[in-house]
Amino acid sequence: MTAKLTLAMPSKGRLLEAAEACFAQVGLAVIRDGLERGYQGRIAALPDVEVTFLSAIEIAQALKDGSVALGVTGEDLLREAVPDGSAAIEVVLRLGFGHADVVVAVPQCWLDVATMADLDEIAVAFHARHGRRLKIATKYPALTRRWFAEKGVTGYRIVESAGATEGAPAAGTAEAIVDITTTGSTLRANRLKVLDDGVILRSEAVLAAGSEHLGHPVVAMLKERIEAVGIRQ
Amino acid sequence: MAAFAGQGFETIVPDILQPADIFLDRSGENIRSRTYVFTDPSGAELCLRPDLTVPTCRFHLSHQADPRREARYCYCGPAFRFQPGGADRLHPSEFDQAGVEWFGASDAELAEAEVLAMTVAAVEAAGLRRYTVRLGDLGLFEALLQSLAMPERWRRRLSHQFWRPKQFHALLDQLAGVATRSRTSISGLIDTLAQAGGAADAVGLVEQQLAAEGLALVGGRNSREIAARLVEKALDRSERPLAQADAQRIETYLGLSGSPTDTAKALDRLAPDLGSPMVEAVRRFHRRNALMGAAGLPLDEATFAGVFGRQLEYYTGFVFQIEAADPDGRALAIAGGGRYDRLLSDIGSPYPVPAVGCAIHTERLAAACRAMTR
Repeated sequence: MTAKLTLAMPSKGRLLEAAEACFAQVGLAVIRDGLERGYQGRIAALPDVEVTFLSAIEIAQALKDGSVALGVTGEDLLREAVPDGSAAIEVVLRLGFGHADVVVAVPQCWLDVATMADLDEIAVAFHARHGRRLKIATKYPALTRRWFAEKGVTGYRIVESAGATEGAPAAGTAEAIVDITTTGSTLRANRLKVLDDGVILRSEAVLAAGSEHLGHPVVAMLKERIEAVGIRQ
Repeated sequence: MAAFAGQGFETIVPDILQPADIFLDRSGENIRSRTYVFTDPSGAELCLRPDLTVPTCRFHLSHQADPRREARYCYCGPAFRFQPGGADRLHPSEFDQAGVEWFGASDAELAEAEVLAMTVAAVEAAGLRRYTVRLGDLGLFEALLQSLAMPERWRRRLSHQFWRPKQFHALLDQLAGVATRSRTSISGLIDTLAQAGGAADAVGLVEQQLAAEGLALVGGRNSREIAARLVEKALDRSERPLAQADAQRIETYLGLSGSPTDTAKALDRLAPDLGSPMVEAVRRFHRRNALMGAAGLPLDEATFAGVFGRQLEYYTGFVFQIEAADPDGRALAIAGGGRYDRLLSDIGSPYPVPAVGCAIHTERLAAACRAMTR
């Protein structure tokens, strides 16, 4: 007796293409129902699985609230959505694509700042001089808080950023940022530099499951097949 | 409350809605993540007060023409804290906090001893019998640093890291020359400055480098601030390391743990060959012990610890916490308080105002009392 499982796949972009290619390669091609733009689908070889297409950030949330059992999403989004040490969601498999780093970056003109410890020191001086806290713009408030706490940096404030985070220091809405980067070229173009110890997470796409579904045969089968093909180098 | 009002403390009802900035700019992000912050229809950032000390300070500043004038307040009202691990009976997101704040007291040790005595009397009046009292003194730590030979910037860095043991020890090892400084991406620039010695024009060098790379100054800092920090880093290269004996004294102080009476003896052994700030701080420690004894506090049952500073960075001197065991036997803070001499000037007082206070978590106190009757 096996219950139906919902698998969430990214609904668009490079993450979708890579995820579809990965599943097809192991003989589990995802078929979209209805038109090309349908948001439901299935996998012929797995009649127990219903596929739903969501944005990567919604997948992290849906895994968290339990509305989907399995999902392919970015590790950065998952770690941001799920509190540290929570056993509710587990990474079944790292998929070897969608690589990106979540980093702490500061203006290149800060010639005296190389590490998180430097950032901590100037945060104190900044508060003394301006009477307000150093602002960090980010879409990752939870990851930022955890990393800064681990590094002992406390005198800062988060400004939640909706988009174009890397432009915040030049625009004056924040002094530093925590953002995602693949090649670092966007950061460089905005005259920002990553701190020496500023890599919070080396993220990639993951297959994640709610912990109550880990024992489901489909989860074990997906893991076995993808590992066997050796997509994960 | 009766215990406080009876001692000549004026009962006040500070605002529940508070401007968020004052809490967040004071406490930083760790408090923000536990504060209910929201935006009102005009766009202003407000919060539900996570604590009554800051609201009481604001009340004082708005009601007294001269904030230095002595004032004694007591309160009992709701405070709000988000509980990341989920709210429960002992960690409620809304709870009543009762407490006192005493501003402008002329006799520091007397005010500290009295506030602690009042807090103990209040929890006992509520029926609490089995509890422990933990004590600390951030002023003593500051005095110890002042009494040891080192550049002022090192003292500033050490006291900044007091609340973070891991970073503190890494820094201490580095200053004492035990651990070598690791190279970073800015070490080359610091080398240049260090080699030029005192003759270097650091601001010129910074401006030259910025111009060469075509970098505009962003991020709210100017070339003087950037140069000044580089100079400090360069100076650290040639500075004589902190003496081993002094580093050991700091470790000895932080390792202190025992009754206030035993601690006083240990401090006497630590202090005699130290400078006057420490001698004076130790004298105050003795005097406070005597006053606490005179107020009827059982000194031998309390524990003083050098590292005990509580997790709220606004304390500046004597600190205390009253703890009882929760149902699983873990220590649970029922009440706490201490001296915070910089808070009033930080939030707008034109003068420094000495302040000492305490707060009781009434839900936990009630739970601890119920647990004992069972």
